[in-house]
Amino acid sequence: MKLAYYPGCSGMGTSAEYERSTRAVCKALGIELQDLPDWSCCGSTPAHATDAVLSAALSARNLTIAAKTMAQSGATKFTTPCPSCLLNLKTARHHMAEPEFRAKVDAILDEPCPPIGQKGEEPLPDTYSVLQLLVEDYGLENIKSKVKTPLKGLKIAPYYGCLLSRPPKIMQFDDPENPTSMDRLLEALGAEVVPFPLKTECCGASMGIPRRDITERLSGRLIETAVRYGADMIAVACPLCHMNLDLRQEQAARAKNAVFDMPVLYFTQLMGIALGLKESDLGLNKLCVSPTQALQKIGKEVSA
Amino acid sequence: MSVLTGKELRIVGFLCNWCSYGGADTAGVARATQPTDLRIIRVPCSGRVNPLFPLKALLSGADGVLVSGCHPRDCHYSAGNFYARRRLELLKEFLPIVGIDPARFHYTWVSASEGPRWKQVVTAFTDRIHKLGPAPKFQDAVPSYDMPDLAPVAPLRNLSCGANPALEDLKKQLKEALSDDHLFCVVGWQKSFDGLHATPLHMRKPEDVDKLIWGPFNVHSTANMIPQLVNDAKAAAMVGVKRGDPIPPAKKIGVVVKGCDGKWLVELLQEKLIDRDAVEIFAMGCNGTVSYDRIIAKIGAGKRIDSVEGNGDTLRVVADGQEYSLSMKDVAQDKCRACTVPNAPVYDHFAGDPVKVSEDAKPEAAAILAYLDGLTLEQRMSFWRGAIERCIRCHACRNACPMCVCREYCVADSREPHWVTQEDTPVNKLFFQLIHALHLAGRCTGCGECNRACPMGVPVGALKLHAARIVRALFDGYQPGTKLEAVPPFLGYEVEEKNIPEHQIEGA
Amino acid sequence: MKIGVFICHCGSNIAGTVDCVKVAKNAEAFPDVAYSTDNMYMCSEPGQDHIVEMVKKHDLDGVVVASCSPRMHEPTFRRAVERAGLNKYMFEMANIREHVSWIGKDKDANTNKASELVRMAVEKLRRNAPLFSKKFETIKKVLVVGAGVAGIQAALDCADAGLQVVLVEREPAIGGKMAKLDKTFPTVDCSSCILGPKMVDVSQHPNITLYTLSEVEKVSGYVGNFSVNIKRRAPYVDFSKCTGCGACMEKCPAKKTPDRFNEFMGPTTAINIPFPQAIPKKATINPQYCRKLTEGKCGICAKICPTGAINYEMKDEVITEEVGAIVAATGYDLMDWKSNYGEYGGGRYPDVITSLQYERLLSAAGPTGGHILRPSDGREPKKVAFICCVGSRDRSIGRPYCSGFCCMYTAKQAVLTKDHIPDSQSYVFYMDIRAPGKLYDEFTRRAIEEYGTEYIRGRVSAIQPDGKGQYIVRAADTLLGKPVEVAVDLVVLAVGVEGAKGSGKLAETLHISYDNFGFFLESHIKLRPVETNTAGVFLAGSCQGAKDIPSSVAQGSGAAAKVIGLLSKPKLESDPQISNVNIKRCVGCGKCVDVCPFQAITKENIRGEIKAQVIEAVCQGCGLCAATCPQGAIQLSHFTDNQILAEVNALCQC
Repeated sequence: MKLAYYPGCSGMGTSAEYERSTRAVCKALGIELQDLPDWSCCGSTPAHATDAVLSAALSARNLTIAAKTMAQSGATKFTTPCPSCLLNLKTARHHMAEPEFRAKVDAILDEPCPPIGQKGEEPLPDTYSVLQLLVEDYGLENIKSKVKTPLKGLKIAPYYGCLLSRPPKIMQFDDPENPTSMDRLLEALGAEVVPFPLKTECCGASMGIPRRDITERLSGRLIETAVRYGADMIAVACPLCHMNLDLRQEQAARAKNAVFDMPVLYFTQLMGIALGLKESDLGLNKLCVSPTQALQKIGKEVSA
Repeated sequence: MSVLTGKELRIVGFLCNWCSYGGADTAGVARATQPTDLRIIRVPCSGRVNPLFPLKALLSGADGVLVSGCHPRDCHYSAGNFYARRRLELLKEFLPIVGIDPARFHYTWVSASEGPRWKQVVTAFTDRIHKLGPAPKFQDAVPSYDMPDLAPVAPLRNLSCGANPALEDLKKQLKEALSDDHLFCVVGWQKSFDGLHATPLHMRKPEDVDKLIWGPFNVHSTANMIPQLVNDAKAAAMVGVKRGDPIPPAKKIGVVVKGCDGKWLVELLQEKLIDRDAVEIFAMGCNGTVSYDRIIAKIGAGKRIDSVEGNGDTLRVVADGQEYSLSMKDVAQDKCRACTVPNAPVYDHFAGDPVKVSEDAKPEAAAILAYLDGLTLEQRMSFWRGAIERCIRCHACRNACPMCVCREYCVADSREPHWVTQEDTPVNKLFFQLIHALHLAGRCTGCGECNRACPMGVPVGALKLHAARIVRALFDGYQPGTKLEAVPPFLGYEVEEKNIPEHQIEGA
Repeated sequence: MKIGVFICHCGSNIAGTVDCVKVAKNAEAFPDVAYSTDNMYMCSEPGQDHIVEMVKKHDLDGVVVASCSPRMHEPTFRRAVERAGLNKYMFEMANIREHVSWIGKDKDANTNKASELVRMAVEKLRRNAPLFSKKFETIKKVLVVGAGVAGIQAALDCADAGLQVVLVEREPAIGGKMAKLDKTFPTVDCSSCILGPKMVDVSQHPNITLYTLSEVEKVSGYVGNFSVNIKRRAPYVDFSKCTGCGACMEKCPAKKTPDRFNEFMGPTTAINIPFPQAIPKKATINPQYCRKLTEGKCGICAKICPTGAINYEMKDEVITEEVGAIVAATGYDLMDWKSNYGEYGGGRYPDVITSLQYERLLSAAGPTGGHILRPSDGREPKKVAFICCVGSRDRSIGRPYCSGFCCMYTAKQAVLTKDHIPDSQSYVFYMDIRAPGKLYDEFTRRAIEEYGTEYIRGRVSAIQPDGKGQYIVRAADTLLGKPVEVAVDLVVLAVGVEGAKGSGKLAETLHISYDNFGFFLESHIKLRPVETNTAGVFLAGSCQGAKDIPSSVAQGSGAAAKVIGLLSKPKLESDPQISNVNIKRCVGCGKCVDVCPFQAITKENIRGEIKAQVIEAVCQGCGLCAATCPQGAIQLSHFTDNQILAEVNALCQC
């Protein structure tokens, strides 16, 4: 399996451990990632909030590169680990189907974007999340067969965030209200998944900058509920969610008047652990809330 | 009473009583101003609208015709509009062949509550008609007498005129069947006044079978005699039966068929005009038949035919002492060139091996349709205006048609209903041909007997070929006469029609 | 033929934009017109009298009135023409109001158009023929499909009027949805106390034959003479022997059978009597769960039954009944909220239940004995949220309509919650309170003011468990303009209703129309609400649209009155505007038989030849056959080919 890969800007900074663990896991599973040469900003939050065309143009530029990369390298699909990039890339492609919109975008770009869907003409590729490709294309049975250290005894609250499955018309992935792909993936790794009801609730997103109180309250609620459901840790798939739940956990705890000490791991990190990869390849040391204690539960008998 | 010149055009509406007439009332109650051109005829259901009504209006001077019924699924009579949709779509696509702009005919669905929508429909349709202007009148069209030189289409398979070795087997089967007296008679072909022509043969005794011929001259249909013979057999069985006696079973009618005769039989059986039990079908594979016109064109008219002999593709004709060598490639009928059904689809006895046709053989469009398609609407109207002038209303076309089931009750000879009048006008003459073509839509097997029968060379077959082409496009390649269990397209419907679009009027 | 033409001014409604005098003058020149005039109000008594006088004075054979829509006054003028001694079908109407004067301002164009419409009417009338109704016998028996409160009411009213009634019910017991309710609004009286006696009346009425576990499979025939096939599923219990003692239920080992009657709020036994007051009070076996019927071993109930009523060999049977009229009263079902409302858990949360399930919790005969206990942990909830319009008035999931009675039962359930648990607090999330019935709004006010129910106006965006055993209900309070969150113990959804499962199939069996939501279509939404467009088939209750109990009962009685009225006539009269076969022209091809939507045409052997024949009472007069027959052998009276051609020719003569 060979995939064209767009890391996104967070992977270069705040979510370096996501980036690193994704690459390590893919390598271990025999998935080849072909980086896009000269990739640029996807046009996410700041751009799309002010100008839809500009934002789409940024995505369209990267999609054009992806199309070429796929044609040259023989990669079958185009993927990114970041849900925010995913949404923007998918939305841009969706809008490019409208001729008027496409004309506006093409006017900004150096070279016009290839058409959508025509086979053999370097079509504008659709984008898939790493999670979706692992679950749907690579297959849970395949993953299960490669697990060396089952995460037995670990109770995990899967948290998808708002974007992975929504808006459903564009994302075309899992149930928009109650997604289960990460649940099934974690179960394949041997973990116990708690019936976390707030899987797609807002973490506060980028409101952490202008209105910290909102993010604190929303993230606090997520962690609080995970605690109530007896989770040892939260699994996430989004750099921004991770930042709010992990980096800002102390703020959230203060807002809720509690001490959480709830490790928040990327699902790829958990996969890496289960696949028996080196800790240094997974960036566990980058986490603010240390998972060490929680991870010690792996393999231990669960006391009733 | 006439149209207010310069102000109005003649627009006729057919509205169902329950939905659209009510919708027009609702628009009126809401004082929704509309153009004044439209005149509404109230009918109980859009299913009551025989497509001949709009056609009659358009031929008689209407500039536009609008039909409106209940929305699909909402029909007061549960299914009338489903049937109407198929029939009116046929009409819409049929109109251009005689040069009528299909934009002048529109059908739609308006419910009794949709006053505003009714106003939109009327306004937009009237606008459209005004943009198109007054409709060209058929009787005022400049007649064109150009008859194109239509090159024969390439045959789909090898046609031949040699003796069929299976004929002896066929004769044996016939003699056997005739020996036990269960058949009233068997219809086949025998040699006529010259070797080129065949004439019907009615075999009643085994020795009659010797006269049977098989080959390229078996041109005419055996099937169109069958319904009458079935009745004759019934009548014969009744001879001597007294009132109150049980009705005795009638003898069967035997019929020898080529592929095309078989298709007619399928249609007659499907339309229940004959019972399957009433006929016994003797079939043999057909290698094609000849067109007399094409032979005459080669050897010259008015000659005495001395002898005819077929061998493979070559037909040797001696006429007035002179010998001509003709090729089936040149003289075969068009329907045989395009034929994909050389063997009867339904039979009781089959002699010899079936003739094979490649499964992906696709016939070319008939030359006459290709020619008409290349003309403008105005030129087509001129073409028919000129062609129909020759019509002498002998109705040979109708009498030759194996699918004409009205028999002696043809609307052409009736005042009740009074579709066509006795006036000798081009409109009347054309209207009869259009009625015939629309009656045959979804039923015509494309045999071309109407063309062959016309003594005046009016290409009336083109109208039926065009209707058949529409039927194929609308109903997934439906071919009449090939499947006994098929429901003819105009006697059925789908709730969601795959190939019939919702027609929109610009601005509505 | 002598024709009289009467042009109506309709005050200024027509005369304002049409020169009526000129139209009348123009009409004098039309063929066969012997008299033409205009009049201020044709439909008034003097106007009608004028028609009668002129018919007599000028010896007219037919009358054309140019006025309003025939959908309005055709019957009026037909009666006038009849009074004048003519056949009422020797009359035509030109619609010069709705189709002319009201939609155009150009007087010249309008006058010309009106004249043309009169001309068309005259040309058609010249080809009209007197038509006469035929009379036919009817069967004095009625089929009622569905034995909810509407069906029960219709059945009892018909039976009391002396008609024989066949009552068919799909479930093992009658009573429908109302039997599942605890109390009813606005009086908060016990549902089974008011319905129970009616159910007993049904079982004891000498004129009512009850078939439970039965469904209508096929209907043929026509008004007054229907033949109905009823499929009766095997109950595996001989009703003539079963005493309803319930001993079998106690011993049945298949104790995990889903309890349909209790809305699956608990398990029941494979052999059971759904509720104590059930009519008929007979046990039936659910064959999907009975161990004897599925695995072949067990047979405990047969051993225990003191009367030997159990019979595992029973088979489904088909019963044929001949009836004169049919009442459809199949009621409603809740829409599928689980697949449409993922944000409410989509069925994943045990304490998010439907209001019908809540009724079973409230009911003393229910699975909890009338104690409100949460399905998840059996705890008594202290805070209950009610969410209205779950699947009603929600265009995002294609449900544009209001389910009508949810506002009221939600108020009732809030009141009952307080009655059951005095220290409880109820919250009602609503869009608008719809309480237009008698004493309804007063009742809602009581729920708010006396019972302290907190009404919050806004749609609920999500229900989420908080992990501590409560559920967070999140909504926007659109009155305060800010988001609200309420933590509750139990959530009750007022789920929208739709036509009962299988209603579409029944509609097709009965040849009536139904909408996208499975509701049957009435003949006229205001003026003919219990009739359908199929003669002899009537509607009662929620099968026609969401209805509360008073409306269902009223419509049940309404449908019964229509049936009684119909069958009280010694004979029925047919509408003569039907198809006729000219047997001389008919070739017996049967194309008309194939297309007729009503099976009104049969093939008859007439003197050895097959000919089409119209069953006069069945033909509805659509004319599809007439448009199908190539030789014009079948004609629709009053809309014959020649009549329509005459109208076309009046307009298009080139």
